[in-house]
Amino acid sequence: MVVWIVVGAVVVALFVFAVLVYNHLVRLRNEAETGWANIDVQLKRRADLVPNLVEAVKGYAAHERETFDSVTRARAASQQAAGPAQAAQADAQLAGGLNRLLAVAEAYPQLRASENFLKLQQELADIEDKLAAARRYYNQTVYRFNSVQQTFPSVLVARPFGFHERQFFETDERDPVNVSFAVQT
Amino acid sequence: MTLKEQIRANRWRTLWLLFLFAVLVGVIGVILGYAFQPSLLVVVGVVGIVYGIFSWISAGKIVASATGAQPADRAQYPRLYHVVETVAISAGLSQPPPIYIVDDPAPNAFAAGRSLDTAYVCVTTGLLDLMDERELEGVIAHELSHIRNRDVRLMSLVAVLVGVVALLSDFLFRISIFGGGRKSGGTAGLIAFALGLAALALAPIAAVLIQLAVSRRREYLADASGAEITGDGEGLALALRKLELDTTETRHASRAVAHLYIENPLNQASGMRGTMRSLFDTHPPLAARIAALEEAGGFKLPPA
Repeated sequence: MVVWIVVGAVVVALFVFAVLVYNHLVRLRNEAETGWANIDVQLKRRADLVPNLVEAVKGYAAHERETFDSVTRARAASQQAAGPAQAAQADAQLAGGLNRLLAVAEAYPQLRASENFLKLQQELADIEDKLAAARRYYNQTVYRFNSVQQTFPSVLVARPFGFHERQFFETDERDPVNVSFAVQT
Repeated sequence: MTLKEQIRANRWRTLWLLFLFAVLVGVIGVILGYAFQPSLLVVVGVVGIVYGIFSWISAGKIVASATGAQPADRAQYPRLYHVVETVAISAGLSQPPPIYIVDDPAPNAFAAGRSLDTAYVCVTTGLLDLMDERELEGVIAHELSHIRNRDVRLMSLVAVLVGVVALLSDFLFRISIFGGGRKSGGTAGLIAFALGLAALALAPIAAVLIQLAVSRRREYLADASGAEITGDGEGLALALRKLELDTTETRHASRAVAHLYIENPLNQASGMRGTMRSLFDTHPPLAARIAALEEAGGFKLPPA
């Protein structure tokens, strides 16, 4: 009789524990998903911006076809990327392309002074800053989510209930796009 | 303390606070009813409850009007919008909070509001002029962590309740002196009368003590989590250093809202008056907060 009560208590305790861990994991997963959504917003904003930026530079430096093509290709790759790791890879390429594009623009004072170009550049700077912030937050949440899944005892709940580790959004090669957020006053 | 623990602790403290204020208002009412007229008890009770509910619903608006905060225009303050939106993303808020601005040359900032969704950040124009981008990010991160840690609800409530108690005791003080008919004459009546006046005079002090209990440690916590959000404690420390060196006085700040700000907005008196005052300070000294950031972040600001 006593044995059964003990067994029953243990079963109940295990069940409660599993429920708590499960809820914790769901919360962490939601946080990571929010973090990814934030990155996605900025990636989309930039994908929308890039063609305009290319057009603006093209008007002054039509012969730099090589640069335009590489930027356009990187943009397409970034839109087709599946998952954070691929997206980060594509993002690094696009960042490199944008840097070359801005370097080209440097040579044309009229272009640099045009209001349209200034506005695009400012928006790009805004996107880059927010993308950096979103990456920081997302990677933090992924780190927490993954480490809870990997550690005992929560690993006992994570595996059977089909939680998967998430990819970080990062590459080693990415150089920051070289624009500063300048405000005309 | 983790974020979750702090949020839970804040919830409890909010309940405690409401309870303490109810007791405080109740005690004032009972003493008054005894000293002057029983009907005053009813008046105090009704005014207290109505005002309490009203302030709970519109805490954010009351604070905004008490501080002179206006919604900031995006076209006019693009840099501020950029920083707040960026830091909000780092903090993992689902959307950036509304931004308010106070036209005041003294650099300062605060966050207020009843809930996570209605909370807003507010900075003075002086802060925008004084801080560079990195320092502004530090200040905003401090304020957003007040929002994220659910500090704002508690702190806004305190602001409003301190205001209620002050208002109530002021109001009753007047009618008790000028119009309050005493129900019994003689010595007993006089003693009761004196007790009533003492209660009225002490009530605001009690309210301020409650205000202190909830505010000082919270600043350290908001500094620490602000540094965590931006990953740049040094930026915040530099901002605090600038605030420390600045001596402009915030124009609209009153005692009731002092604890909301990132830096104590009331003038810092020195000498004997300063010592007395520091007992009632809502904020730890800026130097101590900078030191705490330096220790946590493993950096050292050059001497001022």
